[in-house]
Amino acid sequence: MSNSLIFNRINPPPLEYLMLNKLGFGPSEWSLERLKQLGLKGYVDEQLNPDDSADDILNKKLKECSYPIEYEQFSADGSKRIIKENRFYDLINAPLDQLWPLYKDAVNYEEKIYPAKQVFGATILRAVYSKWQLKELMVDFWHNHFNVSVKIDDRVAITFPIYDREVIRLNTLGNFRTMLEAVAKSVAMQCFLDNASSKASPANENFARELFELHTLGAEHYLNHLYNRWREVPGAVDGKPEGYIDEDVYEAARAFTGWTIADGADDWKGGKFANSGEFNYFEQWHDNYQKRVLGVEFNPNQPPMSDGKKVLDILANHPGTAKYICRKLCTRIISDKPSETIIELAAREWMLSVNKPDQIARVVKLIAMSEECRLTWGDKIKRPLELAISSFRAVEATVTPNNNLMWVLLQMGQQPFAWPTPTGYPDQSSYWINAEMLLRRWNFPINLMNYYWHNYAKADASSQVPEELKTCKEVASFWLKKILGYIPEGDTLQHLSVYLADGGKPEREMYGKGNLRNEKISWLVSAILLLPDFQVR
Amino acid sequence: MQRRDFIQQCSSATAAMMLTGITGVSMRPSFMPNNEIFVLVFLRGGCDGLQLIAPVNDPYYFADREPALRVTESGENGGIKLKNGLGDVDFRLHAAAAQLKELYDSDQLAIIHSCGLTNGTRSHFDAQDMIEKGIQSKKNISEGWLARYLNSISDKSNFSAIAAGSSMPLSLWGSPTAVSINGINDFALQADGNFNNLIRKSYNDQSILSKTAQQTFYTIDMLQKKIPRRANGETIPYKPDGSANYKDDDFGKSMKNLAQLIKLDIGLHVSTVDYGGWDTHEYQAFRFPDLVKSLSQNLHAFYNDVNKYQNRVTVLVMSEFGRRVKSNKSNGTDHGFGNAMLALGGNVKGGKMYGNWKGLKTENLDNGVDLSVTTDYRTILHEILTKRMNVTDSMKYILPFYSPVAPINFLG
Repeated sequence: MSNSLIFNRINPPPLEYLMLNKLGFGPSEWSLERLKQLGLKGYVDEQLNPDDSADDILNKKLKECSYPIEYEQFSADGSKRIIKENRFYDLINAPLDQLWPLYKDAVNYEEKIYPAKQVFGATILRAVYSKWQLKELMVDFWHNHFNVSVKIDDRVAITFPIYDREVIRLNTLGNFRTMLEAVAKSVAMQCFLDNASSKASPANENFARELFELHTLGAEHYLNHLYNRWREVPGAVDGKPEGYIDEDVYEAARAFTGWTIADGADDWKGGKFANSGEFNYFEQWHDNYQKRVLGVEFNPNQPPMSDGKKVLDILANHPGTAKYICRKLCTRIISDKPSETIIELAAREWMLSVNKPDQIARVVKLIAMSEECRLTWGDKIKRPLELAISSFRAVEATVTPNNNLMWVLLQMGQQPFAWPTPTGYPDQSSYWINAEMLLRRWNFPINLMNYYWHNYAKADASSQVPEELKTCKEVASFWLKKILGYIPEGDTLQHLSVYLADGGKPEREMYGKGNLRNEKISWLVSAILLLPDFQVR
Repeated sequence: MQRRDFIQQCSSATAAMMLTGITGVSMRPSFMPNNEIFVLVFLRGGCDGLQLIAPVNDPYYFADREPALRVTESGENGGIKLKNGLGDVDFRLHAAAAQLKELYDSDQLAIIHSCGLTNGTRSHFDAQDMIEKGIQSKKNISEGWLARYLNSISDKSNFSAIAAGSSMPLSLWGSPTAVSINGINDFALQADGNFNNLIRKSYNDQSILSKTAQQTFYTIDMLQKKIPRRANGETIPYKPDGSANYKDDDFGKSMKNLAQLIKLDIGLHVSTVDYGGWDTHEYQAFRFPDLVKSLSQNLHAFYNDVNKYQNRVTVLVMSEFGRRVKSNKSNGTDHGFGNAMLALGGNVKGGKMYGNWKGLKTENLDNGVDLSVTTDYRTILHEILTKRMNVTDSMKYILPFYSPVAPINFLG
């Protein structure tokens, strides 16, 4: 049997490097210092109680940076106006009544997608510069868990700052049941999974199915072979079924009829909805008769929205949801194949905290502090977003997100908020390791360090080398240790030093000054970012 | 950290990563019969086979569907009548599929209806997972069926299997030889020779990452050597054969890339193309025609583009499941069951529909709501593997839980 490890290294990197790769987007000087200073427990505690006002560098970036917008606007008289601006990050804090007016045919597509682009830019800035790395990691987790694509529907793009701010970020370390309802009522999810147009009868099943399969119980609890024999689902007659069947999906779809968006559309009852972009419960679309979801009987003619809320209650309190989401959390934080033991422990904490306002933080803490988190390394490849951000952080790049960065991430396979199906980006290495994707991820650091067409980041590799380090080997060692935290076993240092010495001896001093030297060191740094050691976490 | 603990963790990870399920089943030395070029097109999201190839005179079809989601005999949604249908049903192609009709009439395109995965899952992700692994129930198997096929043949040239796209579909997972290629002319490291050499030295062990990297380097070298160039070294952009008219969309780009790869004569044997967006829960009447148009036009363009290879090419088009007979109140259709498959190629006995059509009468539907599956999708794969790849003994390894039934003989 050939070796089937993703990556062969036996010795792990220093603990700080290992943990910062798992609990965020890789080490930075500040994070390394802070972790050393507080110890792991103190660091995790602080990370789980993030104080946004203390995030000084990030706050400065969000205030001073801007995101470009460019398009041609044609007027009714045929005249053309070119809009080419850099706008400050104002839309990420914009209220609904400022965003929703973009939902008009006459508004240019670039303006409609622009709120989502601002969220993209702000997400990158936060991932790179925020002190609260664990929060950013969790924001990324929940965005993928409750994935919507901003490319599918204008209403999603226009209101995306609200989805990011008030649905995902607000609840990211909070209570799952609260987040679940915020998601269910959001314009983004209502439109992405079509519940906004679902009415009795037949209801649109899209949201209800993914609510079970992806948001709560997971496909591991889908007992479809029992199709319509709900009494045969283990535990069902006692009101505690182990899993769900298609009938539960049908019934839940009925429960959510009437949950829609006030988007000015025809209500099919002779009127029109208000055009405010707010969540809208429309009684006349609701299927008001009795239902049975997961063995629980629903009486007919319940008050507004109570059917839907009851479904959310049942799902959020189900131990299957705890298991499925904790498996995903462990897979995100620890490794591709976390042990059943850690999943069970996390799921137990999840259920114990199910009504607590900091339920998610408690579970994340348990996972982050687990031995398994500290003792595993290198069996998970960084996804392109993690690769890009950890590169920026490792080389202390000045990052100014723009459309080129979005395009490069798309090329690498992970443009944030653009995965077309509700699953979110895959979180198993097997998806990410293939020829096309390796090539794209290799070209990333080459472009980052050596070509500046993209204007999204600039790093000065040369000036970071302490002056007293003169030889090629010293320079290569410095950058290896800075980026990886260690010198890999074997010939890596030798090869890098010889490369720096243009084929000469590693012990010789680096030739050249100024640009020549800068260029050579930039290429060296891109080679280190390309090492297998930097691809994994 | 204790080194011992760490090694233990690593080895348990190794155990978990090992290819589970079936190993060691006869790896019969094989060859590449007929120089076959097999293309698997996967329509992700659940294509509505009942609006693509529609039984327009079935009264239940008429009663269950919104008019806009129906193909009709005439009028606005009038379909294209197909010869050699099933029984006395009037089957019609969606109006946007005129190019498919052309291929059908030239007897190169066959339609198999009412087929699919026999497992009743209505989950996209479970259904795709099973179909791409060539199984019918969730099993602890990590390789795709095409990967197992590739692992069973002795001639493992480096370009025998290509995923035309930016990722590798599950059907090819677990194949050490399969590569994914999206761009062809720009498939290179943007750096000089010394840097290239340096990186190659970094990926030199037996890990999955290194092995995939080595394959990537090989792909870079091979493509850079094969791509036609001008005297000054610039690569010449690919120009499809005169009559091939691809649509400028993702699916068109993948099919065009595939044609280019075939014509580079690098030994392509098996390839996959993904085409997403078929999950039409709402506003299907607006979305479906464009999807069908692209499918139809790009398949037609591809087939004409590789006209010199047609006798070696077999294209199979499939989806994870069909859609509900009865439409919902969002002008869409929810997840269904049985579906149509398309087979295109020089050895396809086309111009004809295949399958056992039980019709849309409620009693004949699966659970009373969906088109039944009367032909297991693996029956189709089995026929291709048998007739086009000459698989015999290793069939049990490729389709491990399938008990063969009589082929439907859509291939010559």
